[in-house]
Amino acid sequence: MSDHTIRFRLNGEEREVRVPATARLIDLVRDICGLTGTKEGCSVGVCGACSVLVDGELLSGCLVPALFVDGASVTTVEGIATGTLTPLQEAFITEGGFQCGICTPGQIVAATALLCAHPRPTDDLISEWMMGNLCRCTGYHGIVRAIKKAARA
Amino acid sequence: MSYEWHDAATWSEALALLERHADDATVVAGSTAFTLLYRQGLIRPGHVVALRRISDAARIDADAHGGLSIGAMATHSAVASSERVRRSWPELADAVSTVATIRVRNQATLGGSVAHADPASDAPVMLAALAAQAVVVSGSGATKRRVPVDEIFVDTFTTSLAPTELIHSIEVPARPAGARAVYRKFTLRSVDDYATVSVGALADLGGGTVNALRVFLGGVGPTPMRARSVERALIGGPADGRRFAEAAALARDEVDPIDDARGSADYKREMARVWTERALRSLVEIS
Amino acid sequence: MKLAHTATIPVAPERVWAVVMDIPVAARCVPGVAAVTSTGPERYKGSLLVQIGPVRLILDGDIAITSRDDAARHASLRADAKDTRLGGTVRATVDILLRDAPGGCELRIESDVQIGGRIGEFGQPVIQRKADQLLGQFAQCLARSAT
Repeated sequence: MSDHTIRFRLNGEEREVRVPATARLIDLVRDICGLTGTKEGCSVGVCGACSVLVDGELLSGCLVPALFVDGASVTTVEGIATGTLTPLQEAFITEGGFQCGICTPGQIVAATALLCAHPRPTDDLISEWMMGNLCRCTGYHGIVRAIKKAARA
Repeated sequence: MSYEWHDAATWSEALALLERHADDATVVAGSTAFTLLYRQGLIRPGHVVALRRISDAARIDADAHGGLSIGAMATHSAVASSERVRRSWPELADAVSTVATIRVRNQATLGGSVAHADPASDAPVMLAALAAQAVVVSGSGATKRRVPVDEIFVDTFTTSLAPTELIHSIEVPARPAGARAVYRKFTLRSVDDYATVSVGALADLGGGTVNALRVFLGGVGPTPMRARSVERALIGGPADGRRFAEAAALARDEVDPIDDARGSADYKREMARVWTERALRSLVEIS
Repeated sequence: MKLAHTATIPVAPERVWAVVMDIPVAARCVPGVAAVTSTGPERYKGSLLVQIGPVRLILDGDIAITSRDDAARHASLRADAKDTRLGGTVRATVDILLRDAPGGCELRIESDVQIGGRIGEFGQPVIQRKADQLLGQFAQCLARSAT
């Protein structure tokens, strides 16, 4: 009764899926589509661990209704690398952009969206854009270094 | 407990759904507030009326009088980056840029922000300061009335909208020559937090005199609070820092804050004074 | 949370006291109250609808008069209510005192309200403002009913 069929692209692949009306985007990608890279950190849209791209736009998987992506193109962290790691992902490795890794999928997705919209971001823009992705381990410098390195690549 | 989800294709269809389901329906714009309230178990609608499929509901245009017409479904990000908005009211673009994080700004809508009437939110305060109007539709969608944004807020999370009315768009008057505006937001804990106090002000300081002034405060009452006594103390007098400092003290009695995690009522009252003064001073500093 | 309200009423205190202690009548002065009925000596049950924006609470509860001194015009009540849909509880102790005042009397209501469960998470400050509002309206309405 309250299930809907939605059709969308997930990391480049056409999908058709039944979802409950109450499902969030994070429920769709993790529980229904089995892509567990996207993490649920705070459940209230603050921490950024659930960052997902919908039609290239950075959104919170925990706040967006699954029904909203009907007809859209969704990119999760699993869809960032196409065959090989991107310069950003390589930079996260060389610059120490992660420790425990729980925030990293969100950081990668958010930073990918940043570099897509602003290929040569200023330091201020990096801070403003990325401030919604919280990290408890690194102190953020490694993340920012990684983004700057990728921007120069 | 689930709900029936309806994607309205037109304003008329959305309004008809609200008529039919009355108290049992909730409207969803960007769904930031809706998702949070639903997940906290605080609302249990039987029906959800989603506005996202209504065409042209997010348009940002010039209106008939040279002002701005911002569709209710325009996101905070769209308003912040709109050429049109930046050209006529860059301060409004700046104000909505202070909301939460980029993800929330990409999802939350301007109309939704007004309809939700969260006393700690930003858009309502700035829109009230700019004398914006909400265009409200009812009936078949053809009936439109205009309500000044500063009159639409009745109480915490409560507007004067009837259950079968919807906000169609927000109109901001054409920018008068020489107008100066500012939005200052004081956050205590982190930059993406709600304001402990925020101040939205619009002034005409032509010839060094305060010819016109509107001052609204957010986060310090059940609705955006107008600092009329501050306005009255300054209008007609010279635009100078000392007078601003004295007048800002009057803001203390124009607010009705509560104790919460963002500050005690006393602290917020004092911050209302401090940040009103800072907002007023920055109006003079704009060249 | 502790709340207090005072109202001056230009009516003789005996008349006001009679209205105040007629619980089903006095209860109608609380905005959103429906159907208060007696369930025993000094015990009642009733239902209260409270709306804060989009959030609607339907509180079903019991009211007991825990102490009463007609000579001193002082009484205490206890209310226990539950919102079964949202899963929240409200417990309030209410102290009512009527004092002589020039031209009539002064009604003072003090209450201690404890909110539990989901409703409590909504934000104590918002609830406090609402409870304050309700209590104020109650006091004003009692004053009018007695006139």
